[in-house]
Amino acid sequence: MHATTNMLFEVKDLEVTYLQGDQREPVLKDVSFYMEQNETVALLGQSGSGKSTLAKAMTGMLPHSARVTSGSLTIGTEQVANLTDTSTPWQRIRGRRIAMLYQDPRQALNPLMKIKDNFRELLQDHQLASSRDYLQISEQWLYALNFQDAKRVLECYPFQLSGGMCQRVCLALALCLKPSVLIADEPTSALDIVNQREVLDVLKTVQKQYGLTLLMITHDLAVANSIGDRVLILNKGKIVEEGNTKKVFSKPQDSYTKQLLSARSLLSESPQRKSVSFQSKQKLLEIKGLEKQFQQKQVLTNIDLTLHRHEIMGILGQSGCGKSTLARCVMGLETINSGQMMYKGTDLSKLNNKKRRAMSKHIQLVFQEARGSLHPGRTALQIVMEPLHYLHLGNRKERQSLAEAFLKEVGISSDMHARKPPQLSTGQCQRIAIARALVLRPEVLICDEAVSALDMHVQAQILKLLQQLHQKFEFAILMISHDIRVLRSFCHTIAVIDQGRFCEVRPANALEKESKNAYTKKLFHSALEMEKGLSL
Amino acid sequence: MLLIFSRKILEALLTLGLATSILFILIRLAPGDPVAIMIGQSSDVASSNTERYEQKLLELRSEFGLNQTIFQQYFIWMKQLILFDLGDSIHTGRSVMTEIADRLPATILLSVAALFIQIVLGILLGVLSALKFGRFFDHLTRFLCVLFASTPGFVIGLVLLSTFAVTFSTYEINTEAKLSRLWLPALTLGMIGAPQWIRTIRANMLTEFGQPYISSAVSRGLKYRRIVEHAFKNTLLPIVTMTGLSLTTLISGAVVIESIFSWPGIGKYALDSILLKDYPVIQGYALLMIALVIVIHLVIEIVYSFIDPRIHRKGEENVKKDY
Amino acid sequence: MLKKIINFKKSTSFIAGIILLCILFILIFGASIISPLDPVEQNAAERLQKPSLEHPLGTDRFGRDILTRTLYGGQNTLISSVVALSVALLIGLFVGLVAGLFHGTLLDAVLMRIIDVLLAFPFMVLAMIVAGLFGTSLFHLLIVVAAVWWVSFARLARSIALQVKSETSFAAAQILGASHLTLILKELLPKAAGPVLVFATFELGTLILSISALSFLGLGSQPPSPEWGSMLADGRDHFMQTPHILLGPSLFVILTVLAFNLIGEGLRDRLDPYEKFE
Repeated sequence: MHATTNMLFEVKDLEVTYLQGDQREPVLKDVSFYMEQNETVALLGQSGSGKSTLAKAMTGMLPHSARVTSGSLTIGTEQVANLTDTSTPWQRIRGRRIAMLYQDPRQALNPLMKIKDNFRELLQDHQLASSRDYLQISEQWLYALNFQDAKRVLECYPFQLSGGMCQRVCLALALCLKPSVLIADEPTSALDIVNQREVLDVLKTVQKQYGLTLLMITHDLAVANSIGDRVLILNKGKIVEEGNTKKVFSKPQDSYTKQLLSARSLLSESPQRKSVSFQSKQKLLEIKGLEKQFQQKQVLTNIDLTLHRHEIMGILGQSGCGKSTLARCVMGLETINSGQMMYKGTDLSKLNNKKRRAMSKHIQLVFQEARGSLHPGRTALQIVMEPLHYLHLGNRKERQSLAEAFLKEVGISSDMHARKPPQLSTGQCQRIAIARALVLRPEVLICDEAVSALDMHVQAQILKLLQQLHQKFEFAILMISHDIRVLRSFCHTIAVIDQGRFCEVRPANALEKESKNAYTKKLFHSALEMEKGLSL
Repeated sequence: MLLIFSRKILEALLTLGLATSILFILIRLAPGDPVAIMIGQSSDVASSNTERYEQKLLELRSEFGLNQTIFQQYFIWMKQLILFDLGDSIHTGRSVMTEIADRLPATILLSVAALFIQIVLGILLGVLSALKFGRFFDHLTRFLCVLFASTPGFVIGLVLLSTFAVTFSTYEINTEAKLSRLWLPALTLGMIGAPQWIRTIRANMLTEFGQPYISSAVSRGLKYRRIVEHAFKNTLLPIVTMTGLSLTTLISGAVVIESIFSWPGIGKYALDSILLKDYPVIQGYALLMIALVIVIHLVIEIVYSFIDPRIHRKGEENVKKDY
Repeated sequence: MLKKIINFKKSTSFIAGIILLCILFILIFGASIISPLDPVEQNAAERLQKPSLEHPLGTDRFGRDILTRTLYGGQNTLISSVVALSVALLIGLFVGLVAGLFHGTLLDAVLMRIIDVLLAFPFMVLAMIVAGLFGTSLFHLLIVVAAVWWVSFARLARSIALQVKSETSFAAAQILGASHLTLILKELLPKAAGPVLVFATFELGTLILSISALSFLGLGSQPPSPEWGSMLADGRDHFMQTPHILLGPSLFVILTVLAFNLIGEGLRDRLDPYEKFE
């Protein structure tokens, strides 16, 4: 596999360990790969696979607790760095030969510096411009990256730009040194799908235009699929499979790759729910004309929503659209500015503290941060008993047996009852959180991005679990998510929310075909574009 | 922007009103009759016959409005405050305002000089210590910080005084507020406050070094000096707050040092007045300190909103935030 | 070698602080066993002696052994500062957590206003005013401590409460129906306790320093009671002639505050360790 003629970048036998306590934990084991000139390689790995460590190791930016035990880095024909050597002249390599893009573009720019000052320092330090002509050069680069009003952007502080714009600024900063290799570490995962497309498109264009060799580090199959010529799969610090993207995704060899792909197709396959009419069923939750402002900023505008018994309704929206605020309003964690939220005829917004507390028996919420929503110092069993204790339901024995029963329902075996959240996986934590919500036997369960922080195959498991529990206990679900695939396969009805307003509410299986709304179409387009060739 | 400022100023005025009211209550709660104490000072009346003494007491009481109800007294008191009438010193008979105005410049001079020393030491050692994190220099600086922070100011002052005034005779001991006498008390106050500055700047620098924008700047191959500048720029914001806090601590806490070095400032004057039970002066000193603290806090908030673009521009541009 | 001694890694400072504090405690509270001399009885024949084998820190102007008096004096100083600061800590913790829990309501606004007003009185200034109006005594000083020192604890506790409130686990407890009391005791208090205690160790040091400064000025406890502050006040007037009178109490103030500061440093490093940057 090394016999390529125009090989540009090669990493050989990279091994990195982290110091944990007094022990050395290996993070990367025997990692070797190469990139050809003008090639885009996607490095795909789930959280904890060591992919960020890999990116840091290639620019000599590992934290102090990490140690490179072996490895070398070659660019072109020249071995630029023996990675174990701490005296490598990184300053001549960073930026000029290898550029980096980071996950959160807003935090990757100094908050107190205008964009133009970033350019000035960079160009001056690398002796590419003087204090007179730097503005002109930086403007050209911004225009090259699709900025319409480069002059204004240069005068802005990072907080005045959107995430996508910040990432393009970072890209311009990286490109203006004309590096041969660009390493992008999850450059789009902090962005919503529309911004994500924007950045990916720009990346593709500049990669071709400037003949860049691009290493795209990502956890997202769709991103890897849409951009990578070749793909490397990283699992637990080892590259388990590599090859042409199409080939790997259509005929995976390694068991881990297969597992990733099958989880993906589980999510994507639309069971095409029959359109069930819920009109005749009892209305559980009825929201009318809900408005919410945060310090003069309108977050939710005129929300109307009706949730019937046994219905699963999805709320689809990108980050910052106000969908989590809606959940928090229903749960009484936020006060609303106007409108009505009726639960079986009682107005939720007019309850006093005591009645509000009692309402938790009827409406429950599961959070995105599974681990964060559980008290780290309590055992699984104690966590599930918590709500019963708060509401003074039953005696100690009854609480315990009820909690045990519900832990069994969510598939947590009894040997794990005494474990605390730090000793449990994220998936197990989310199961416990679901058990804790259901132990009160609510009639409405709100899932606020309840699966988005989970790895792909765990997502599929949790969704399946929710479906089973829904069948058995017959509660209604309000499923809030940014992920079209999750909602399409899981919900009866989907409401699309954009900038605090409902665009449309339609049956899930009809949304794609019947939608006339531009925003919905854009969402579908962005999502499906990236999936091309993935859904088998 | 203007709206925020005027709101802050109104809040500060409210705080000032409430704080002065607390002071009034404290003064009225104090045991002993101020008038009796006052007469006790001028011994010619006290020693003579009791009838004249009683009469003098009544005269002075009505003069101070002490025979009216507490609320009336409060309003008279407030009115005098608003007119900047703080009464006369019992001891010297001069107006408290002039007495304080005579001494305030000396204290401000001392505090500003000490603040300057603190900031220079703080930035220099704090930044260096952060850059040498985990090395010998860092450990030494941290240890000295803890040691100096654990030593009472008067000990540092007395050691310096005995070294420079007694052993080397390079420092003259008198009660003048001359520039040539400023350096030693300023140095002492500087050394007392410096550990706090060094620790804060070091900690802030380390926090900034951990931020993603620093690793991003490193990955762009910027010069080392530049990266340190980046981090330092972001540590400047907390420094503004610290300047204000230090200034209040310095002005109010200069008492000890002023008294050791016989520096004729406001703190030493207040201390002498307390020992002489000169009530109008104590009251005047308290009012001055309260007003100073509130004004300094107000100025910090306003300055802060000017230098941090994130606060400054809020409302003008749409600040994008995830909810 | 020096590097090892002053190495702050691996909570060396914490251990050093604890050891130092233990030694001081044994010395101070075992004063009657360690020193056979009487702390109050005057002895005109041995006035103002320089340090010697018999009197390691010399004698004061009444011929009393300074070391003995310093040891006995520590009992008063330590107990009274700890009691006063504990009162302040409890008030501050309670007010801060309540204000944090009810953030955005009238109750929070009122509590914050009270805090703002009290912040306008620097401790030294208020202590001086009280000493001037009500007379100088250690008791008055301690009342002042309890009355204003809680403000700094309250501000810290409130900021922690606000931070905890934004965490998911707090929202979870809220929607599961926890009452206000449960929220404070089970969600806010456990998370606030650590940082507040660390802060309190530092504040204890600051308090001892402040009290000693005020006593040095003659505004604290009064002679002849064996107390560090009053001993400092006593030695102040004759400092130029007999500096050793100040040595004993000063040394013990420094060591005690140093012990608390070292413990605080060690604890704080455990709470938030920094990642090393090259």
